[in-house]
Amino acid sequence: MKILVAVKRVADANVKVRAKADGSAADLANVKMAINPFCEIAVEEAVRLKEKGVATEVVVVSMGDKACQEQIRTALALGADRGIHVETDVDLQPLAIAKMLKAIVDKESSELIILGKQSIDGDNNQTGQMLAALAGIPQGTFASEVVIEDGKAAVTREIDGGLQTISLSLPAVVTTDLRLNEPRYASLPNIMKAKRKPLDVVSPADLGVDPAPGVTTLKVEAPAERQAGIIVESVEELVDKLKNEAKVI
Amino acid sequence: MDFTFTEDQLLFKESVADFLRNEITPEKIRELWDSETGRSDALWTQLAELGLTGMTVPEEFGGLGMNELDFVLLAQECGYVALPEPLVHNVLVAVPTLIACNNDKLKKQWLPKIADGSAKVSVGLEENFLVEDAHVADLLILQSGDELHAISKDAVSLRYNQSIDLSRKLYAVEWTPSAATCIASGDEGKAQIEAIMNRGALACAAQALGLAQRMIEMSVQYTSERHQFGKPIGSFQAVKHHMSNIAVRLEYAKAPVHRAAYAIANGQSTASLNVSHAKLVSTEAADLAAKNCMQVHGAMGYTWEVDLHIFMKKAWAFNSTWGDVAFHKMRVADYIFADDAPLGAGNTFLA
Repeated sequence: MKILVAVKRVADANVKVRAKADGSAADLANVKMAINPFCEIAVEEAVRLKEKGVATEVVVVSMGDKACQEQIRTALALGADRGIHVETDVDLQPLAIAKMLKAIVDKESSELIILGKQSIDGDNNQTGQMLAALAGIPQGTFASEVVIEDGKAAVTREIDGGLQTISLSLPAVVTTDLRLNEPRYASLPNIMKAKRKPLDVVSPADLGVDPAPGVTTLKVEAPAERQAGIIVESVEELVDKLKNEAKVI
Repeated sequence: MDFTFTEDQLLFKESVADFLRNEITPEKIRELWDSETGRSDALWTQLAELGLTGMTVPEEFGGLGMNELDFVLLAQECGYVALPEPLVHNVLVAVPTLIACNNDKLKKQWLPKIADGSAKVSVGLEENFLVEDAHVADLLILQSGDELHAISKDAVSLRYNQSIDLSRKLYAVEWTPSAATCIASGDEGKAQIEAIMNRGALACAAQALGLAQRMIEMSVQYTSERHQFGKPIGSFQAVKHHMSNIAVRLEYAKAPVHRAAYAIANGQSTASLNVSHAKLVSTEAADLAAKNCMQVHGAMGYTWEVDLHIFMKKAWAFNSTWGDVAFHKMRVADYIFADDAPLGAGNTFLA
């Protein structure tokens, strides 16, 4: 079974990102970039399935400018076998990404496509669902466990109030939640090996997709700074403030 | 001439930094202080799985066959987290000592085990009086005059000596040299002992850079959060000066450390001079960082509860081990005051 994993290049989760002064976008100049944490979980799951003998090949794909190859190389160092980079300078949005992934899935005949449930920059939570719809295949989102058996994927989903286990016929799309696994660290020998693994570069045009964005970002701003608290003299004063100033009770 | 690190070296650094910064937290270090050996077998296994223990072990013995320059940035990262495990000592001191010794049996017996993480080796020189991590070493390489001896852990008795840095485990080792344990003597022994001193000093120098960096970052964060007179205290000039003085000292210490690693890796004749220069400036930077960072913390940096002391005390320990300030200043002086000293711009990159 061939597994396709999509990874996104985002600002490192430990970096505190600021909005640009003109509010047009997040300021990513000189910011450490990394694989989106949910995508890293997707890579780990695919590699584990390969180590269990369930998968025969793990192909990792990323889209964006040339710098995305860093994240593909990292995924290869984590155990993926081959990389595909869709090179474009266009600011990609979920629909365009899903269309291009669909074209790659068709070409690669992947039986399982694993994506992060969302990226920590866009927070859209759309690409996996759109891909499943475009490809006309089942989807198991927010997965906390994936078991492949008898040509089906049993996916345990984290839903409000509990867990739901569903069975998907393959091919299928799975999007990962935080608790699916704990990604490994790349070892130094594997980092060296990753440089020798194949990485194909294609363009959106090669995939027959126009990546032009349909959504325009109007403004990006930082969350309002938390105001300093106050010390109240009594419970009565607290209740009064909650009722009349904060109006929360 | 390209002085920059290669893409691979930077990638290794980033990857190892991710691991160390996630796994070696101050809480983990405090936890290890309370353990019996002060060391973690699980952590050592992880370091071996990442390929770190075998970095300088030749490929024929199961390692990665890399050199001191490949490891120097990683050693800085080990300093940044104040790694208690003897990784830097094994990679930079023990493995090259085993490789240099003219004893194939010893190499075959120990290098594969070091690479796969199943053995540790401690090297002790008389200059240091005490031996680091002798309690967890499977093999000890010890100096006796101009000789080096390889001693099994069963043939020594150890007496613990507490260091100011609780993560450092120092032991006085009682042992008896014999012809059977001797692995180098005479001129070869002297040369090896000097090489070991250089490697040990480089290990301290590289880690001192990481320690200084960490102390600056901790203090910048603290002075950005601590408010006085309605402003973060880091906005006051007197505090800024404390921090920027360290940053300047640290920046100027990096190149000598990298130069020293290059000199050792390439067997240059100036290695001893380069190493002494590196150790002097990097431990000075770490020492200044310890002093100024404690000041900007309002002296509470020295208290048990604030993590700063973990890094500060390690910096103090590095200052006086593997050759103290006087030792290294003397080596630099011996070089530059010699009648035929090749000084001047034309000799800057003399090999």
